[in-house]
Amino acid sequence: MQLLLQVLASGVLLGGLYALMALGLALVWGVLNIVNLSHGALIMLGAYATYFLFTGAHIDPFAALPITAVVLFVVGYGIQRGILNLVIRGPMFNTLLITFGIEVILTYLAQLWFSADFRAINPGYAGSNFAVGGITIPLVQVISFAIAIGLTVAMWLFLLHTRIGRGIRAAAQNLVAARLYGVDPKRIYAVTFGLGAALAGVAGGLYGTVSQINPYIGGPLTAKSFAIAIIGGLDNPLGVIVGGLCLGIVESLTALYIGPTYRDVASFGILVLVLIVRPSGLLGRTT
Amino acid sequence: MFRFVFLAATLCFAAATSAQTITFGASVQLTGPVANTGRYYKDAYEFAVDKINAAGGVKVGGAQSKIALKLLDNQSDVNLSVRQYAQLLSQDKVNFLLGPFASNFVLADSSIAEKAQVPMVQGGGASDEIYTRSYKYIFGTLPAASDYFGSTIEAMAKLSPAPKTVALLYADDSFDVSVAKGTRELLQKAGIKAVLDQRYSSNASDFSVVLSQIKSANAEAVLVAGHETEVLNFIRQAKSLGVSPKLYSFTVGVPSADFRHALGKDANGASGMTAWLPSTSLKDPWFGDAEAFARDWKAKFGYDPDYHAAAGVAAVEAFVKAIEAAGSTDPKKVRDALAKVSFDSLYGHIAFNDKGQISLPQIMIQIQNDKVVPIFAGKDFINKLEYPLPPWSQR
Amino acid sequence: MRIAIVVIVVLLLAALPATGNTVLLQFGISVLLLATLAQGWNIIGGFTGYPSFGNSVFYGLGAYGVAIAMVQLKLPFWSGMLLGAFLAVLFAALLGVAVLRLKGHYFAICTLGLAFIMTAIVSNLEIAGSNIGLVLPLLRSEVLFYELALGLLVLVTLTIFWLSRSRFGLGLIAIRENEEGAAVMGVNTTLYKVLAFMLSAVFTALAGGIYAYYITFIDPAGAFDIALNVKMIIMAVFGGPGSVLGPVVGAFILSTISEVLATKLTSVASMFFGVVIVIAVVFMPRGIADLVRNGRRAGWRYFIENVRTHRL
Repeated sequence: MQLLLQVLASGVLLGGLYALMALGLALVWGVLNIVNLSHGALIMLGAYATYFLFTGAHIDPFAALPITAVVLFVVGYGIQRGILNLVIRGPMFNTLLITFGIEVILTYLAQLWFSADFRAINPGYAGSNFAVGGITIPLVQVISFAIAIGLTVAMWLFLLHTRIGRGIRAAAQNLVAARLYGVDPKRIYAVTFGLGAALAGVAGGLYGTVSQINPYIGGPLTAKSFAIAIIGGLDNPLGVIVGGLCLGIVESLTALYIGPTYRDVASFGILVLVLIVRPSGLLGRTT
Repeated sequence: MFRFVFLAATLCFAAATSAQTITFGASVQLTGPVANTGRYYKDAYEFAVDKINAAGGVKVGGAQSKIALKLLDNQSDVNLSVRQYAQLLSQDKVNFLLGPFASNFVLADSSIAEKAQVPMVQGGGASDEIYTRSYKYIFGTLPAASDYFGSTIEAMAKLSPAPKTVALLYADDSFDVSVAKGTRELLQKAGIKAVLDQRYSSNASDFSVVLSQIKSANAEAVLVAGHETEVLNFIRQAKSLGVSPKLYSFTVGVPSADFRHALGKDANGASGMTAWLPSTSLKDPWFGDAEAFARDWKAKFGYDPDYHAAAGVAAVEAFVKAIEAAGSTDPKKVRDALAKVSFDSLYGHIAFNDKGQISLPQIMIQIQNDKVVPIFAGKDFINKLEYPLPPWSQR
Repeated sequence: MRIAIVVIVVLLLAALPATGNTVLLQFGISVLLLATLAQGWNIIGGFTGYPSFGNSVFYGLGAYGVAIAMVQLKLPFWSGMLLGAFLAVLFAALLGVAVLRLKGHYFAICTLGLAFIMTAIVSNLEIAGSNIGLVLPLLRSEVLFYELALGLLVLVTLTIFWLSRSRFGLGLIAIRENEEGAAVMGVNTTLYKVLAFMLSAVFTALAGGIYAYYITFIDPAGAFDIALNVKMIIMAVFGGPGSVLGPVVGAFILSTISEVLATKLTSVASMFFGVVIVIAVVFMPRGIADLVRNGRRAGWRYFIENVRTHRL
């Protein structure tokens, strides 16, 4: 019983980080209709940014997160403004292909600049934990979980309940009307993509504190983020929490009862099931 | 840097058309997920070739020939490396082949060498499968995977109190599965019970479930056969989940400097094994001895060599000795000479068994005070093992 | 006229082994197989408009069919090819019905998920050698593989040619352009889509089978490689999806440049693909086929127009 509770706790904490990873992707996809295959690469860059801020400038990783967010925002803004804007109004498949191309380029540049050596963000308190009723809870993971939930709720409030947020959604849905109201669609799109990249960056920084960093971590993280975003549903930003928790818990239980080599079968199995049975996701509106 | 290799290779090639030059070809992981170990082999091959050329090269039938090297980057993609080896043979017309890193690469690439009947000496793959196919042209300088934990388990039996329960964890690739198979038999013979015997997916990043199982099963010792990134995650997550076995040993990571650097203080206490230590007792015809080799390597490349580097150098040296013994560059004659080769080098005694694999004992090592300390090899403890390890909270 | 050119090219390609240049032969094998894969994707992605990321599953099933048949069951190569093709078609038929109900990027993601699931399942199967994979027996005949690959490419291209002129093919195009309209007009969209998926599966699996025997080694990561699926799509899209020869041309051009880079400037090779994709999608999103058809008249303005229509 103890083991099950411990595993569940680990699954929940993992789910929180997963949710944050998928948030940027879900934002860009749900609002802008851009399927960003380079999302994982942005997470990877965020991890490196936090790593260098920690080892180079000796800034605590959690304190470095806002700086990482700004850096990645600029990168995302640039990508959208410079490359993606050129194909937005074409067939949607083209954004898929072009973001794949961007992923390849970003991974290559990371390998060139940072080498394939793996890094780890290891602040002094990295291994500390505390016990709650016989279950060990790692400190860093709890903080990450809190940040993840916090940012997700903040994003939900922003998109659904602030004027700017609603403006972004409106512009994405009806470009002509938005223009008539004086909204600059290029800037809105770039800002939104930048926001998505910033969120990916923060997720990367947190990921680096619990796992290791190398230029190739992007691919599997993109795949995971897709699964989470879809399972939760793209209509509601809170969906990633549901998707993340669902995946974190199912993966951990699968590893415990069936075997660690079946994790992917479980996670992507749920993805396929959700798509077939309820494509709008667990929190989505059924059309 | 790659442009330098390309340029150097081209210059060597240009020189090759005039005098008798012997060309070695290899496809190595210079980019991609496994590149941080792949580059040991590039550096090793180049270092060895430069040193041997500086000493006069290879003596073939009376004349001194220089060695040229053609290296390609397979981007950590097995399919690409297979095509590159085929290209090295048919287009670049290299004389002999040196191997890539990692058993799964060697498994695939060795078929090309065998098909073309050109000898390949590799220092990157140890899994049993490489040697069970009755291939005649493949030789390896890494000792058998199934014996990796041999010295560790022997040491464990001599500890007091000796650990009675063990958790065995292994990744699902060819090398680690071989290690696990051999380890299971060794554990059985030593009368140690494996309370957990778990296979996990390569490149896994989350070990919290398995760590919780280890804690719950009260395993006294943990043996992990996996890749450096996985072992890194394992140790960090063990600390954050408060899982403190009395002893833990890993097949990779412990000997390499950037692994210890990435973990910092958390690396202390981890055990591992290596078939090679840079000691002065290993004398070498070109490098003096292993310690001098390690010094020169560090001076040239800026990092400490480990057994991968030494195994790569050993591969080149084995070829040179075999070519000299055969007195020709004919692939079949060199192959026969390789089968009989026997000499001492900075890597130890190089000789291949009838399957083509070297046989060297593994030395158990442990990281103590940020340094790699040899612990046990064969009979007695060389140094004291830090055992049992104190719980994480008390370190 | 165009048919005559194609026939001459095919005959020239078939005669290539006579030059004795093994490098060219090896390169030829990989290009021909890639072209076949691009054409296979063309059926479901180009003609029917369903961008499948699951073709790597068909490829993997074909490869494993041959591997398991030859290594575990000790059957000859041809039985393996049949087994692989059968597994792929079965997979397409059973899962196609459920998965083809999804549209556009949802379909793409779903098939991507299937690819991941298959990789994970196969890496746990003992008979498939788990994650270690299987080593196939050695066959020292590049010429046989080359001619087989060429034959398969000719077969799939002929099939697509037939498709472009048959009622079935027109039905697929109708589905791509306006699925609801097609259904209203009496096209059995579910049947047509699943059949297209199965057809795509057959050729992709056969290509996988040839490759497995040729390379003598497969493992789950290599057999179900998503990057390969992306390559198929890029070559088909670069060449011109929905056209008869477009994907073949796309495959030839991209492969040639990629191989040349991989051997000469190894470090840049991996980035090359990324840059090409970005440039191609921005400036010629409808592929080479469209470029050839319309570009000549419009000249440089063709590229500028593409950007102007599609950018924000």
